Amino acid sequence: MAIYNGRLSQIDQSEVKRYAGIRKGGEQEFPESYVKEACMEVQLAAVPKGIYQWYDYDAACHTVLSNPPLTLEGTSIQKHLEKSTRVCVLGVTIGEGVEQRSSQLFKEGNYTVGMLVDSAATTAVEQVADQVNALVNKEAHKLGYQTTWRFSPGYGNWPIEVQKDLAAIIHTDEIGLSVTETSMLFPRKSVTAIIGLMPENGAIGTKRGCSSCGKLDCPSRNN
Amino acid sequence: MQIFDGAMGTMLQQAGLKEGDCPELFTIEHADVVQKIHESYLQAGSTIITTNTFGASGLKLEDYGLSDRVKEINTAAVKVAKAAIAAVKPSAKVAGDMGPTGKFIAPLGNVPFKDIYDTYKEQALALVEAGVNYLIIETIIDIQEMRAALLAAKDARQELGKTKDDVKIICQFSFSEDGRTITGTPPEVGAILLEAMGADIVGINCSLGPEQLVPLIAKIASVTNLPISAQPNAGMPVLVGKETIFPLKPDDMAKFVPELMDAGASYLGACCGSTPAHIEAIAKAAQVHEPKVRQEIAPFTAITSRTKVVKLGHTEKPLIIGERINPTGRKKLAAEIKGGSFVMVKRDALQQVEAGAQILDVNMGVAGMSQVPLMEKAVMELSMLVETPLSIDTLDPEALEVGLQAYPGRPLINSVNAEPEQMEKVIPLAKRYGAALLCLPLNSGNLPEKAEDRVAVAKTIVEAAYKEGLRPQDLLLDPLVLTLASGDQSARETLRTLRLYKKEFGFPTVMGLSNISFGLPQRPYLNAQFLTMALEAGLTTPIMNPLNDTVKKAFVSGCTLLGFDPGVAEFINDYGYDEEVKTVKKKGPQGDAFSSDDPLENIKHAVEQGEKEIVVDLVKKALADGTDPMLITKKALSDAMSEVGVKFGAGKVFLPQVMLAAEAMQGAFQTIKEVLPDSGDVQKDTIVLATVKGDIHDLGKNIVSALLENNGYRIVDLGKDVSPEEIVKAAKDNKASVIGIASLMTTTMPMIDETIKAVRQSGLSSKVLVGGAVLSQEYADKAGADSYAKDGISAVNVVKKLLGE
Repeated sequence: MAIYNGRLSQIDQSEVKRYAGIRKGGEQEFPESYVKEACMEVQLAAVPKGIYQWYDYDAACHTVLSNPPLTLEGTSIQKHLEKSTRVCVLGVTIGEGVEQRSSQLFKEGNYTVGMLVDSAATTAVEQVADQVNALVNKEAHKLGYQTTWRFSPGYGNWPIEVQKDLAAIIHTDEIGLSVTETSMLFPRKSVTAIIGLMPENGAIGTKRGCSSCGKLDCPSRNN
Repeated sequence: MQIFDGAMGTMLQQAGLKEGDCPELFTIEHADVVQKIHESYLQAGSTIITTNTFGASGLKLEDYGLSDRVKEINTAAVKVAKAAIAAVKPSAKVAGDMGPTGKFIAPLGNVPFKDIYDTYKEQALALVEAGVNYLIIETIIDIQEMRAALLAAKDARQELGKTKDDVKIICQFSFSEDGRTITGTPPEVGAILLEAMGADIVGINCSLGPEQLVPLIAKIASVTNLPISAQPNAGMPVLVGKETIFPLKPDDMAKFVPELMDAGASYLGACCGSTPAHIEAIAKAAQVHEPKVRQEIAPFTAITSRTKVVKLGHTEKPLIIGERINPTGRKKLAAEIKGGSFVMVKRDALQQVEAGAQILDVNMGVAGMSQVPLMEKAVMELSMLVETPLSIDTLDPEALEVGLQAYPGRPLINSVNAEPEQMEKVIPLAKRYGAALLCLPLNSGNLPEKAEDRVAVAKTIVEAAYKEGLRPQDLLLDPLVLTLASGDQSARETLRTLRLYKKEFGFPTVMGLSNISFGLPQRPYLNAQFLTMALEAGLTTPIMNPLNDTVKKAFVSGCTLLGFDPGVAEFINDYGYDEEVKTVKKKGPQGDAFSSDDPLENIKHAVEQGEKEIVVDLVKKALADGTDPMLITKKALSDAMSEVGVKFGAGKVFLPQVMLAAEAMQGAFQTIKEVLPDSGDVQKDTIVLATVKGDIHDLGKNIVSALLENNGYRIVDLGKDVSPEEIVKAAKDNKASVIGIASLMTTTMPMIDETIKAVRQSGLSSKVLVGGAVLSQEYADKAGADSYAKDGISAVNVVKKLLGE
């Protein structure tokens, strides 16, 4: 198990606005200072942590050859990894403090920043996942593998009930990340994902990001 | 020109190393095979061959259960390499190879610095003892690991009585396509820091092909005169079947040799995918190319973070060192640090950087506490948070050392004085960790008053520093700032000292600006005046508070007046407004001047725009003019929120703007309450809110809570993950008219049904409202809810309807 904790020297403000549902073309311009303030609050409260581990993968029976092996249900993830011979499973979190801060801000009547802190925290956890992802890609490319984009439980029809198993094989408890009975990650601002390693230049058919999601009326949807 | 060898791993595999076997153990099991590989590289033209010890550190060998055989494996590897040299080319040299441990040092990873240092030290001792001519630390992607390895290599060399004439240390990073290590370090940062720490050769290997290495080698050559090594891969690999193939043929690689040499590389080799044939082609190409003469880099003073170089000096634009991270005289900060929280330290850092600080001073002097753990924690936290280099501000050599060790860059040490005991401890630390050193002309508690005396004391520190091996570009000078309250000539002497320093040494200068006004009124103003004078006299780097507008403006003005602001662009950008315009801009995000004769219209508009401060002023004025508060609530506030709700529904404004409007409305309510405490505040119904058991989402419920509260309802917010029993009890205790419950996940939806069942069974007459991302009207109906709301805005309307309002 390798530990790699990302850094949050800045938070992408355009992503924060997207998660908050602020789009171009509104009647009023939204004051940037609130977004900036929320980003700083998250930088102060976040404790980024990441963990990842490599496994062989048997695409024929959709099984991660971890100990114990983990067979993946759901056609989306199976298709996503159909050309992979190895996988990397990763977990990242930015801790519970960001959420506590968001709720505290609501209690103090700072609704706007409180709400934006939630969006900034989502942005931050993705940024940390990006950093671990970049490291994984680098190590994989060194051996000549191509990598798939990272796929998380809940994408497509990959059931979120797998969270518990994913967390267990890579020991996310080492970074303080656990899974509730209801298959939610705790702290909530956390991500688990799987990255496939393909020997040959395998274009994969699965759609990435917002276009893979069926929630068409989502305010954060990327056009 | 020196020629290294090529890849070892692939050669071993071809010679029978099985997947999963330890490559370094192969030396012991098949010494003859490894010797043959070395010999073939020597025959191909290598002048330096690298031992088969890439993964022969204790930490790496642990993967194979071989950590107790470090010395044996490393010694055997050197012996085999030497045998090959004796057989083929007696003039060739041996480089003892040390690759990455595969682990990250805390806080980026979880391994203590000392563990990484220890494992490299053990390996370096074995290699040096066995007689290598070079130690090569290679394929490193984290600057902290490189620092640990370099310190270990230098210490091992010294302990065994060797010098750099016997064993040279080569430090090679591995960069990604973006020209940085994966952890963010660019070549310039690496070269500046490693040269200051005493590396003999710096360079690059692995990850990239020769073409991509050329510009990166040039970057190293732009900051150092040290010899540079380049060992590219044979192109970018592809995996075919189970085999990793590197596409570049020997001649393809050799094509780039002239470019690499012209960029500054004088040690050439190759990494993954290369063979003796590649080395032969490289050696031949190098032999016939006459490289351009490297441009001599004049010494310059620079400090770095992990990711950024900051240059200081009389020809550079002056820089601000932010002074805020210092608990001296800041009771709140001291109390926080004492309580174990570094949030304020981090906030000070981010705010100062935002305000223009290019270096951050870090002082952890909290009365009654050891600075050692505090400095370590502060440096770790800040190095993960900001790209801005740090100045480690302490008189405690132990705290200084932990700070230096934890810092992934070349920091400034603030400071060393002329006390022999201080110099003995601090100067060697600066040398060891490659830090820049600020010299303070004080000795045995004596403050030299005259500028000439200060120069004389400074000279003794500078000489001691040179003796320890520090270079002119490692030193900065403090002219000493004493408060005017202690002597009316004190500012003059500081300015004279700055001038003399410039003439005598030419080093960058640093001073704590605000000391000048200690005990006097109008401190920022006095500091500002003194600052512009000092900049003119030769101050390059004030320690000051960039958050103070007066002082910051003086800094920007001073830089502009001294010609460091081309086209006066920065000054115009920062201050190119007239004061009035800025005031308006500050008040409202729109800066528009909506104005109606009807005060209610003005309030309504301000709420819609979310202009909290303006609303408060307008409400106060309206009340003072005798407007009925009920009228304000109904005609201005409620109407404004309805309007915002409609616009939200139409997609014209977005949720954060609704929240802004709600905040403005909240501000208006509070103002009414403050001005007229008995203004008929009718408490409406009570609503209990919760996210259902098993669900830990808070945000949606918080938004609903805020909006309902704004509409005058009494809210009992039970939080998240709340059981049906708790919800029922709270509803009973508070006589709730409405219970609002949320579920955001398909896995927690059944709890909506359970909760509704519990409410009905309890006999409560409360209406149940449900909501959340995964719910729908259909689900709500099936579960027996009284109503469903798809978002926070509609929740308000739904509640009103439920209560027949």
